[in-house]
Amino acid sequence: MTQLLWNGLFVGSFYALVALGYTMVYGIIRLLNFAHGDLYMLGAFVGFGVLSVAGGLATGLGFVALLIVLIIAMLVTGTAGLLLERVAYRPLRGAPRLSVLITAVGASFALEYGMRLLAGPNPEVYPVRLAGDSVNLLGARITIQQASLILIAILLMAGLQWLVMGTETGRAMRAISQDPTAALYMGINVDAVIARTFFIGSALAGAAGVMAGGYYGKIDFLMGFIIGLKAFTAAVIGGIGNIKGAMLGGLALGLLESIGTAWIGGQWRDVFAFTFLIIFLTLRPTGILGERVTERV
Amino acid sequence: MTAYLTRRLSRVALVGGAAVAAMMLSACGNGLASGGGEQSSDKGPIVLGMLTPLSGSSSAIGPYMKNGAQLAVDEINGKGGVDGRKLELKVEDEACDAKSATAGANKLVTAGVKISVGGYCSGATLPTLPIFEKADVPMLIPAANSNELVKQHKKNVFLINGTGAQQSDAAFKFMKKVGATKVALMDDNTSYSKDIADTTAKLLTGSPALAGRESVTAGESDYSANVNAILKGQPDFIYWTGYYQEGGLIIRQLRQAGYTGKVMVADGSVDQKLVDIAGSEAAEGVFATMTQTPETIQGADKWIADYKSKFGAAPGPYSTQAYDAVRVAAEAVKQAGSTDGDAVIKALEGIDGLQLFSGPLKFTPDHTLSSGGFQILTVEKGKIVLKDTLQ
Repeated sequence: MTQLLWNGLFVGSFYALVALGYTMVYGIIRLLNFAHGDLYMLGAFVGFGVLSVAGGLATGLGFVALLIVLIIAMLVTGTAGLLLERVAYRPLRGAPRLSVLITAVGASFALEYGMRLLAGPNPEVYPVRLAGDSVNLLGARITIQQASLILIAILLMAGLQWLVMGTETGRAMRAISQDPTAALYMGINVDAVIARTFFIGSALAGAAGVMAGGYYGKIDFLMGFIIGLKAFTAAVIGGIGNIKGAMLGGLALGLLESIGTAWIGGQWRDVFAFTFLIIFLTLRPTGILGERVTERV
Repeated sequence: MTAYLTRRLSRVALVGGAAVAAMMLSACGNGLASGGGEQSSDKGPIVLGMLTPLSGSSSAIGPYMKNGAQLAVDEINGKGGVDGRKLELKVEDEACDAKSATAGANKLVTAGVKISVGGYCSGATLPTLPIFEKADVPMLIPAANSNELVKQHKKNVFLINGTGAQQSDAAFKFMKKVGATKVALMDDNTSYSKDIADTTAKLLTGSPALAGRESVTAGESDYSANVNAILKGQPDFIYWTGYYQEGGLIIRQLRQAGYTGKVMVADGSVDQKLVDIAGSEAAEGVFATMTQTPETIQGADKWIADYKSKFGAAPGPYSTQAYDAVRVAAEAVKQAGSTDGDAVIKALEGIDGLQLFSGPLKFTPDHTLSSGGFQILTVEKGKIVLKDTLQ
């Protein structure tokens, strides 16, 4: 049982990191960024590229090398997120919601198949792998690598929380999410803040990608698809638009999957996860932490 | 103005309609005269079609099969072809996905393919059976081996790879041989994978006994939940029947979860990438059920050298089966004396003793090989090598 919980928490922290970007973008401009999962894929491939170029030097350093690669990948995916917003979303900001949704799906395909052209259709294997001895804790096998990855995820999330609640940019983000027009009148540079949001969200997805690459080892150009769906589910379960909700939703989804698999079998894992999405959408569309939005007339 | 436009439009419609009618008539004419037309096309090359994954998750295999088949085509053409006609190979991407395969099969049929020598993923090959059947095209399937392919008893379908049932038999034989007592099965819910797991499960009634089954969703990264569930049955032998992408991850995660027993994978997982993904430490000692590959066939040195000099790379899985498929097709056309579908099928059923890599060819009434030719490979020092021929 402890093992189940631990597995769930570990997978959940990946979901949470990706879900954060989803939820931030939705919270500010009410856009479901379907290309978000593919930024996770992009992060994994950037990390792979850097490690391949660095070669033997990186292999010797192990975990430290992965940390450096993590930062590079975050910068690259963050910039890619900026570009995506500038090219695909900003020109459509006044357009109907559906047009933007379709652009997002298009951007997702562009990223996936663009990467296939660049890196080929075959799965790649990370040159630096995290594997190590495990410690037995309350009946669960926990590896130091798993624990470090969770720690990194928590640090990144805590940093984000501080950024949103404690800084000028964060205050501007929250203001825009309340009312973009009023924020503009108050002298907030709305475009710049939205761009920053995309940068941060995409960088977090990229970080999750590198972490997954280093831990699981296998990456391929379609790896962002399923995790994108799962992150979306996590964001909805937690309350889409709510940052703490995304973290909570990610962990909750990881635990649900882990326990669900043990309970009714592996082939039902995704059915179980998405059934919860439907249950939440019907019974509590605002998610665990979401607030009830009253329509003002 | 409007009246003028209407007039013009109706005239355009009339002319267009007449053109279409004329085209249809001439098409009918061709159809009716096809008996005579065949005569002239009998002089042209015999077109063989091949569906193989050139993209998607199994894209590594496609070029091997394509090259293997091309090698046979070139050899036969070098000796003057079949009945004075050259062979020509047309390859379409199957992408290991039903949609692409169906589109590819239709394209091949339209291109006038006489015999199909392709088919890698069973799930993608299944929907192409009726397409080729309708066009009266015999199929020599070199790689796909789900029992589903022969269950429908289509007269145009021949498997020149061992079937899932033969693979299960080989797996079971080996489990007994190494003294496994509790065997757990894992599949990825695809037609190919589930088929082997199902037939193996039926064999595991006494000792070794079935200690659990688990199906995973392909394309994810974390299978720790599945691994956890399968280890609850405390198996000492785990058989993974899916492909190498998930196989590598599962082997790694099994070892991380502390599993020390034996692991075996099915032929869809036999690829060096399996070892790369699992990590050479975790993959060491993993077994695999596999039909003959160039490296494990004795006396194939000359063939391998030919392949290398032609394509500049070593042959991989299913290159020999694709090579054999073309040779069998050529032999059948030769014996039938025509490329007519029914005549070729009759000739295929009659072939006895044509020497293939897997042994002398003789089809069973089910159109499968009379001997499956599965053997056991193992990972040794990070490389996949032959372990046991099960002979």
